[in-house]
Amino acid sequence: MQGCRALRTTLSTLAVMAGMSGGAAAQELTVWTLTGAVEAENAAWAQIIEEFEAANPGVTIRIEQRSVDEHKAALRVAARSDQGPDIYFMWAGLGLGGEFVQAGLSAPLDAYYEQYGWEDRLLPSAMGFTTAFTEERHGVPYSFAGEAVYYNKALFEQAGITAEPQTYEELKAAADALKAAGIPAFTFGGTVNWHLMRLMDVILETKCGAETHDALKAMTADWTTTPCAVESFAELADWSANHILSPFMGIDQAQSFNLFLANRAAMMLEGDWLVGQISQAAPIEGFDLFIFPTGTGRLYGFAEYLYISSRSEHPDLAAKFLDYLLSDEVQQRHLGAFGAISVNRNVEYQDVGDAEQQWLDIFADHSEIFVNGDQAFPLDVTTEYFRVINEVAQGNMTPEEGAAAMQSFIVNRG
Amino acid sequence: MMRRSLRPQAEGYMLLLPALVVYLIFAFYPMIDVIRQSFSEWNGLDAQSRFVGWNNYRVVLTQDPVFWGALVNTVLWTLAAITLPNLIAFGLALALNQSLPARGTLRAIFYLPVIIASIAVATIWRWMYDPFFGLFNSLLTEWGMSGWIQDWLGNRKLALWSVFVAHLWSSVGFSMVLFLAGLQGVSQTLIEAARIDGAGRYAVFRHVTLPALGPTITIVLVLSLINSLKAFDIVYGMTGGGPAQSTQMLAMWAYTQAMQLGSFGRGAAVSVILLIITLVIVIPYLRWTLRRSTT
Repeated sequence: MQGCRALRTTLSTLAVMAGMSGGAAAQELTVWTLTGAVEAENAAWAQIIEEFEAANPGVTIRIEQRSVDEHKAALRVAARSDQGPDIYFMWAGLGLGGEFVQAGLSAPLDAYYEQYGWEDRLLPSAMGFTTAFTEERHGVPYSFAGEAVYYNKALFEQAGITAEPQTYEELKAAADALKAAGIPAFTFGGTVNWHLMRLMDVILETKCGAETHDALKAMTADWTTTPCAVESFAELADWSANHILSPFMGIDQAQSFNLFLANRAAMMLEGDWLVGQISQAAPIEGFDLFIFPTGTGRLYGFAEYLYISSRSEHPDLAAKFLDYLLSDEVQQRHLGAFGAISVNRNVEYQDVGDAEQQWLDIFADHSEIFVNGDQAFPLDVTTEYFRVINEVAQGNMTPEEGAAAMQSFIVNRG
Repeated sequence: MMRRSLRPQAEGYMLLLPALVVYLIFAFYPMIDVIRQSFSEWNGLDAQSRFVGWNNYRVVLTQDPVFWGALVNTVLWTLAAITLPNLIAFGLALALNQSLPARGTLRAIFYLPVIIASIAVATIWRWMYDPFFGLFNSLLTEWGMSGWIQDWLGNRKLALWSVFVAHLWSSVGFSMVLFLAGLQGVSQTLIEAARIDGAGRYAVFRHVTLPALGPTITIVLVLSLINSLKAFDIVYGMTGGGPAQSTQMLAMWAYTQAMQLGSFGRGAAVSVILLIITLVIVIPYLRWTLRRSTT
């Protein structure tokens, strides 16, 4: 009996000691994000974590970085377990970050927005998605990207194009002039479905206007009875048949970029990040950019967010870390590491190149955005959207069949 | 002191137990759970799944724009995969079973692709198929056959078969080794006896070698069949199911539905359909061959 009591006492003492040591210090935060697109991004994460840990003794931050598909799959697998992250990266659209918010897997951050004054610190355009899916605020912007048409100045000159197209008709005229000069207007990589999707997105915005385009993407407008939907597919077919460097279905975006750098096509529809990528590979002076002339005045772009998991045991610490990441000082120091522009409105831009300045002006001039199709639709509809775009672009579906396939899928999913 | 030893049967079960437990946990239970999931709806994020009866099967069979294409691709792939690579492998095994100079080196060369990871095979072949800088189109250009240049992985009429060629290259060696092992097990005494009885080369092959290879052929065909029905990695690595889902396969579509689109119920339904197809084909074939070998 006495032996048993002694054993119980010893175990209790050990348990109390273990509890004390764990409670007093040792808080661990787990961050799941993507592997950085450029080394500067990975280096920035490492430094920010190191600094935060140094300023908060006893805190350990474990970062797990994965490629896009692995990250999505890992988050879904861990969603209902206790093995998931405290903070996770996700694109902010309906089919991605929005799905997690709606499933209750993101913690509302209203209290932290107030506590840390994030609303005054962050770009309003970048914060647009925080209240897009619920009345509470979810997530903080990590990066904000805009997409535009990059063009090769020499090829434009060769085709006799003297001014940047201001309207869609002028863009088509420029494409015809390029074709006459034997130069394909655009290059796209078809294996990554989202690349060619960009062309369809901007055509829909152009042909349908902002309101109808949004209704089509929100699946409240009928694709078969909305004439601009069929018209947009017809335009996509025309661009694919006449103005895209062929063949393009068997190459990816990276190969398409290499072809663009090799002067094989005049234009590329890409994000602000391409400035850095071109600069690393070729003289940036040889290229310029303009907004795809949709005529609606909205910027084509998307946001990437960091969310605090609703299952996190340390939401306060997670918010504190995000506050440090978004601070003026950190964002200023790592300017360019997370994207061309910072989500922090207090960051100052000095000694920026012409292309970067152009992007800063574009962001300043646009208060409204329309997002990429793969962020606007739920995942299953995105997959069908990709399929239909590819079929129409390859001439395997007529524009009418494309619109009908989209509508049929939307109706069937209920 | 006398130690009681276990009966051989009990000893056998004791040795099997750890493997059986692992099998039940990691193979049998997931299989049963997939069947359960196929009758429910779950996006991987919600706390609970919802029972939906046969709805996932109804949607997959009547409304899914990709499923039937994936099924046809899987069937075509399977038919091609159990014939072409195995015929080539059999021919190679017969050739490499002869006393050739550098026979060992040749065997190693033909077997080499088998040890390369599928995803690496996919990368190698993707580059060779590149429409602008790839090996095949460059060779065609060099040989003055520019009219034959193709978008090997971007043309829906060609893409599946372009992937299949890569699969063939990487899988022939495996069947070849099995056939070689089988050929070396053919009794030389029987062959010599047949020759003494006046049998020619073809007659020896037809009436001695081929029957002796029966069990090997069965194993090769069953393995090819199972591997073909669950074809995934090389297609995923080379086309990801594109262009426009034209190279989609059932196993990959099940994975895509569950892990990428978050529709675990539909993914499970596709998996169960694939499982049923596999069992319907494999079990009768195995029973038939077992009955034959017993006879």
